[in-house]
Amino acid sequence: MTRALSWFFSLIALVGIAGVVGLFAWQSVPVWQQEGWGYLTGVKWFFRQHQFGALPMIYGSVAVAAVALLLAAPIGFGAAIFTAEYLPRRLRLALKILIELLAGVPSVVYGLLGILLLRDWVYDAFARFDPLSGDTLLTAGALLAVMVLPTIVTLSDDALRGVSSAQRQTARSLGLTRAETIFSVSLPQAKAGLGAALLLAFGRALGETIAVFLVVGRQDNHLPASLFSLRPLLESGQTLTSKLGGSETNIAYGEPKHWAAMAGLGLILLVMTGVVTLLGTGFGRRSDA
Amino acid sequence: MRKLLDFVLGAVVALCALVAVGILLGLVYVIAQRGGPAITWNFLTEQIRLVGASGGIFWNLIGTMILLASAFVICVPLAVGLALVERAWLRHPASRRALCTVLYTMNGVPSIVLGIFGFIVFVQGCGWGKSWLAGGLVLALMMLPTVTVSLIERLKAIPSKYLEAAAALGLNRAQIVWSVQIPQAWGGLLTGSLLALARAAGETAPIMFTATIFAGATLPKGIRESPVLSLPYHIFILAQDSFDPAVGGKLWGAALVLLALVFLLNLLALPSRLKIHEEANV
Repeated sequence: MTRALSWFFSLIALVGIAGVVGLFAWQSVPVWQQEGWGYLTGVKWFFRQHQFGALPMIYGSVAVAAVALLLAAPIGFGAAIFTAEYLPRRLRLALKILIELLAGVPSVVYGLLGILLLRDWVYDAFARFDPLSGDTLLTAGALLAVMVLPTIVTLSDDALRGVSSAQRQTARSLGLTRAETIFSVSLPQAKAGLGAALLLAFGRALGETIAVFLVVGRQDNHLPASLFSLRPLLESGQTLTSKLGGSETNIAYGEPKHWAAMAGLGLILLVMTGVVTLLGTGFGRRSDA
Repeated sequence: MRKLLDFVLGAVVALCALVAVGILLGLVYVIAQRGGPAITWNFLTEQIRLVGASGGIFWNLIGTMILLASAFVICVPLAVGLALVERAWLRHPASRRALCTVLYTMNGVPSIVLGIFGFIVFVQGCGWGKSWLAGGLVLALMMLPTVTVSLIERLKAIPSKYLEAAAALGLNRAQIVWSVQIPQAWGGLLTGSLLALARAAGETAPIMFTATIFAGATLPKGIRESPVLSLPYHIFILAQDSFDPAVGGKLWGAALVLLALVFLLNLLALPSRLKIHEEANV
């Protein structure tokens, strides 16, 4: 009985989980049939003309997530080194709990702060580059940096604590300073875990919707001429998530081709976050659950 | 030189930690300072009026509670089932690992994707329209990995001599589950649920297409076409198109209430998390 019930509820859950992936794959079939790979590489999205190209949104998602990691990784690693290598256990725990509270702040609250504060700061700080508004990829990236910071700190701290203290003590007794111990023992040993922290943070940044939605400007069809120029970061853009979170989702339903294109965006997002999360958990053997 | 480098690294990493904590404190300060004045008894007990410029957030709070309660009720049996299957019934390490991998990957699924999943299946497929139950189901799916993993971790931490003693007394597997594993591990279920609820409480993306509207809903009657109001969606809408200063104060007030709710849920989960930590470090 207990066994049957366990399996019963598990199967419901597993069907639900499989259903998510299956549904997006199934609903997006028409767009893959009609556009083929052009759907992924197309640069124009005009749904009234039935033009569906997802590349600008893929670029937007990756760009904001990359900005977020670039900003958050140094601070996150630094903070994790501090909690793991310098603080006594109780203080370390207290600081970690405090930083993890940052992860609990709802994304809509981050979005609100983004709209009312960060947007203006970015606009003022980069005024000499003459941005059109404060709604830029950079703003979204900076906001995301704060949101993924706790993920990086917690997972990196765990990775560093996983290094055996016997090795640290050996290094110290050989006369290495604390800094040298960190660079020659702790960091190399925790490499995989630190990589995992970055990957999971990247996945989280890719999937974040509401905060990005509120500050990214939601400008369709913005793809820079060069992928490596920085100027586009000061322009509005569109991410996969901000597109899916917009009113177009409601408009698209009932119009098969348009809806298939929207479901396709969901599938792309699922695949991207899925790959990143799988790589991250494979690396680190622990999720941020 | 080596001493200097040592000192510099210490200072730099301490500064990094300070920045992280500073961001948290600054954020709480800004919201408390701007939202504090709006919080009155009436703000919490009145319904929304004049598109957020007047009145309060009573039904938004109730709506959020309804969503959380239904998500919790739906999530718990599924999480317990999954955790017991992983710990008690699955025998092959490979299939256990596969299940855990599924859970970890699931944890990385963006909440907007789950929201649209709910929109397709419940709102359109089942023809419910926006409904509290659709929101509860989607949020339950979102909470599932966190709750399950937390429960599994706690089940793993049960000393094996307990299980061996129970088996030696002649208990079968189901009896061990009920008399040893569940009593020993229910704290993990509680901690996981509180953390997952804290996350669910603040989510907008899963409920915006499935469960919640901006104004004009009270208690739901039935399932079809019975949306609720909610705090995050309220903030989300007002944040986008409100330049009315009267709305501004209320908006920060609502954000403060939501933040307090989320922090409270996190705080409730704290003692149990600290306990695990103490035990792990003995």
